[in-house]
Amino acid sequence: MPILIVNEADAELIVTIQDARIDAAIATRFKDRLREIVLRGRKPVRLDMRRVDFMDSSGLGAMIAVRKALPESLPLVLEGLTPNVERVFRLTRMDSVFDIRPAPQQE
Amino acid sequence: MSSTERQNAGPKPRTLTRSQPMFHRVLQADPNDVRQALKDLRARFAPQLSADTMGRLELVLAEVMNNVVEHAELALLPDAMSRSIHLCVVMHDNGLSCAITDDGGRLPADCLLPRNLPVMDPLDLPEGGFGWCLIQGLTQSLCYYREDQRNCLAFMVPYQQSQFSGPISG
Repeated sequence: MPILIVNEADAELIVTIQDARIDAAIATRFKDRLREIVLRGRKPVRLDMRRVDFMDSSGLGAMIAVRKALPESLPLVLEGLTPNVERVFRLTRMDSVFDIRPAPQQE
Repeated sequence: MSSTERQNAGPKPRTLTRSQPMFHRVLQADPNDVRQALKDLRARFAPQLSADTMGRLELVLAEVMNNVVEHAELALLPDAMSRSIHLCVVMHDNGLSCAITDDGGRLPADCLLPRNLPVMDPLDLPEGGFGWCLIQGLTQSLCYYREDQRNCLAFMVPYQQSQFSGPISG
């Protein structure tokens, strides 16, 4: 099962992905789990991706499905992309669709 | 006996040829087997490659093998007939030479034709259709042939990738 840690603050949901790989072996369960979290939260979402070291196009598809499940009014911010993950967003031009930001300095 | 000793055996030893790391694996067309093969591949090549080259190699092999798995699943074969993938990667002077064969159905010809990214409709973003774009964008000398009941796909992943640093376009 994909491991997602949820920290609910007043104004936002911070979701940390613990898995090192978002690949075809896990993409469907990852999508279902994350979609359930963001829909239940009904808050802007910050997704901490610092631990994800590999993502393929099935993982990207899962991220897009989650983005589409969120209403326009709720932002989804992707934080701390590693180079392997950033490459997939860049090569597919999905970096222009998602709000991608560096990881916060603390921790 | 190591390959070097074997090359140098006999009365007239040959000049030592440089042996390059390679990776060969036969796996079932299953997402977990693909994941394990990619992890083992990374363990083999990561010490020799830049992080960028390693990342591109892993991504393109994931995309190719995911396609094989997906089509094996669509064919709804009984478990006893689950399909096998042969993966072979060899380091050469200018890149990593990769060959992937499988005993699935014939690859549709349009997979290998130059293609654009899926249409980017902001109101209905595509969730798939990226795999072959990534494969085409990250490889050189991509070729496919059918040999009896097997698909054979071969390509090179270059060490330098300056021309594809931006998004893939058609």
